[in-house]
Amino acid sequence: MSNFLQLVRNENMKLYAKKGTWAMVIILTLLVLAGGFIAKFMDDTTTKEYGDNWREEMQQEMAEAEQNPDSYINVDKNTYYLENDIEPQSYGAMQFAYENTGMASIITLLTIIVAGGILATEFNQGTIKLLLIRPVSRLKILASKYVTVLLFALTLLVILFVWSWIVGAILFGVNGMNPSAVIYQMAGYAQVNLLSEIGIELGLSLVNLIMMATFAFMISTIFRNSSMAIGFAIFLMFAGNLVINFVGQYDWAKYILFVNTDLSQYREGFGGPLLEGMSLSFSITVLLVYYIIFIVASWLSFIKRDVAGQ
Amino acid sequence: MVEPAMQLVNVEKHIGKKHIIKGLNFSIYPGEVFGFLGPNGAGKTTTIRMMVGLMNITKGDVLIQGKSIQSDFKQAIREVGAIVENPEMYPFMSGWKNLIHYSRMIPGITQDRMKEVIQLVGLEKAVHEKVGRYSLGMRQRLGIAQALLHKPSILILDEPTNGLDPAGIKEIRHYIRRLAEEDNVAVIVSSHLLAEMELMCDRIGIIKNGELIAVNEVHEDDAMDKTQEVHILAEPLDKAKEVITASFGTDVQLKDNQLIVSLDRATIPKVIKELALQEIAIFGVQAHKTNLEDKFMAVIGENAIE
Ligand SMILES: Nc1ncnc2c1ncn2[C@@H]1O[C@H](COP(=O)(O)OP(=O)(O)OP(=O)(O)O)[C@@H](O)[C@H]1O
Ligand SMILES: [Mg+2]
Repeated sequence: MSNFLQLVRNENMKLYAKKGTWAMVIILTLLVLAGGFIAKFMDDTTTKEYGDNWREEMQQEMAEAEQNPDSYINVDKNTYYLENDIEPQSYGAMQFAYENTGMASIITLLTIIVAGGILATEFNQGTIKLLLIRPVSRLKILASKYVTVLLFALTLLVILFVWSWIVGAILFGVNGMNPSAVIYQMAGYAQVNLLSEIGIELGLSLVNLIMMATFAFMISTIFRNSSMAIGFAIFLMFAGNLVINFVGQYDWAKYILFVNTDLSQYREGFGGPLLEGMSLSFSITVLLVYYIIFIVASWLSFIKRDVAGQ
Repeated sequence: MVEPAMQLVNVEKHIGKKHIIKGLNFSIYPGEVFGFLGPNGAGKTTTIRMMVGLMNITKGDVLIQGKSIQSDFKQAIREVGAIVENPEMYPFMSGWKNLIHYSRMIPGITQDRMKEVIQLVGLEKAVHEKVGRYSLGMRQRLGIAQALLHKPSILILDEPTNGLDPAGIKEIRHYIRRLAEEDNVAVIVSSHLLAEMELMCDRIGIIKNGELIAVNEVHEDDAMDKTQEVHILAEPLDKAKEVITASFGTDVQLKDNQLIVSLDRATIPKVIKELALQEIAIFGVQAHKTNLEDKFMAVIGENAIE
C-alpha cells in the first residue's frame, strides 16, 4: 500500500510542477475575488443591511416597488421575511461563501482538464515508456492517476470554500460562525442554515464533477489524447442540458447521464424529478452503472494494450 | 555453463496484418555487451519494447533471469534498466526530481545511490536544472542514470549514442564497458552503425525485417591466423605493390589509389615493416573485419526499408 502512496506522491509532484496547474488555482482565486468586489461595490440588493426597525424598512421598500416596477426590490423575499417574522441577518463571509458554491462548475471544468491530461501527456511526451518499465502493475499506475485527479478536485473545493470565506470576511465582515439566510429555491423562498447548505451544494456538485472527470479520464486512456478527452467532456457538459430539451419526451431519455447528474432535483422544494419515472434511487443506480462502465473501460484499455510510438 | 541473463524464445510480433518480428531466438549473458544491429525499420525498437513489456508478445517468450516478462512481469522487470528510443523525461522538472520520481517506484533506492549514479554519468552540475533545458547529450546521461538507479542486472539501451558528439559517444562506451566488466551487467545496445558497435560490443546480432541474420563474436577476428582485408595507402603505389607481391606472394589489387590485399593478422606488421624498409611512404593501413562487415553490408547495402 505504501507503494501506492508513493505513486500518488509522484503524480502530485508532477501535477504541481506544471505551471498550468497553478494557473488554474490562481484563476479560481481571482474569480472569487472579482465576485467579491462586484458584490461589494456594484450590487446593493444582496448586501443590503437593515437596522433594528427592519419591518418598517422592508414595508417601505415594498411600497416603493409598487410604484416603480423597475425597482430592484425583491417583494417576494421581503414578504417571506415579514410573514415568518425572520429578522434579516447582515451579509457576511458565510453568505458570500454560499453564493460562490456555484463556482463548483468552474472546478468541474478545471478537473476535466486535469483528468484529460494526466495520462495522455505521458503518452505525448513519451514518458509513459519509462513509467511502465518499473515493477509496478499498470492498474496501480492508472489508479494513482485517478486518485490524484480526485484529490485535485477536492483541493480546489476546499480552496474555493476557504478562500471565499476569507474574501467575504475581509469585504463584508464575519456574521457568526453558523449563520442562516433566506434564499430562493425552486418552490419559493426558505430560510436555511448556510453552512449545511454549502455542504449540500458542494457535495451535490461533486457528483457531477466526478462523473465528468471520470468520463474525461476514460476518453484520454482510450484515445491517449488529452485535447480530445477535454473537448468531448466539456462539450457534453454543456450540450447535455440542451439534449434533454430535445429528447425529453422519449421514454429512454431518463437513462441519459446528464438527466441524472443533478441530484438536487430530488431535494425538498426543488421542483421534483426532471422526467417521469425518475427517483433518487433510480438516478443513483444509473450514475453507478455509468461510473462502473467508465472505470472498467479505462482499466481495460490501459492494462493490456501495446505502448508503441505515436 | 553460465545461465543467460535474458533469453528470447521464438519471439514473434504481429501488428494488424504486418508480421514485424519473425521468430527471434538468442540469449544474452551476464558481463557481455550485446549489440543489436540493423537498418532502420528492422525491428530493433519493437523487440526492445517486447523485452521490457511495453508491447505484447504475439508468440514466444522473453525470459529475464529465468522469469517470463509476460507472466511474471514485476519480478522480471525488476532486473532491467532501460532506455527505449529517446530518453524522454519530464521537461518541467529538474533532473533530480525526475530521478526521485523513478526512485519512488522501486523500494530501496537511497539518496546516496542517486548521487552515485549522477556522478557516474557526470551530471552533478546540471541535475538541479529543468530537464527541458538539457541538451540531447545531457538527456541521454540522465536516461542512463535513471536506468541504473536500481542496480539492474540487465541494461537495455536503444540507440544510446543517438545525437551525441564524439566525446559523448566515447564516454558512454566507457560506462557500458565498465558496467559489463566490473559489475557483470548484461548490456543490450541497439544501433545501425557497425563501426560504433564493434568498439563496444562483445557480440553483435544483425537483424533485418524482423529476422536475426547472424550473431558474431566481435573479437574472433583477433585470432592471428584469421584472414583480413587490408587497405594500404602508400607512395609510390606501384613499388609498394611489387614489394608485397615479391615478399609475400599474395595477390594485390589496386583500387581508388589504395592497395587491397588479403592477409593473415600475423602478417600485417611484417608487411608494414617490409614496406618501410624499402623506403615506401605509408600514409595509412586499415584492417577490415571482413566477416561481420560483409554480412552487414549485404543487409544495409540494399538500403531497403520494408
Ligand atoms: N505500432 C505499429 N504499427 C504498425 N507497424 C509498426 C508499429 N511499430 C512499428 N511498426 C513497424 O515495425 C517495423 C520495425 O520498427 P522498429 O521501430 O522496431 O524499427 P527499428 O529497428 O527500431 O528502426 P530504427 O533504426 O529506425 O529505430 C517498421 O517497419 C515499422 O513500420
Ligand atoms: Mg528504433
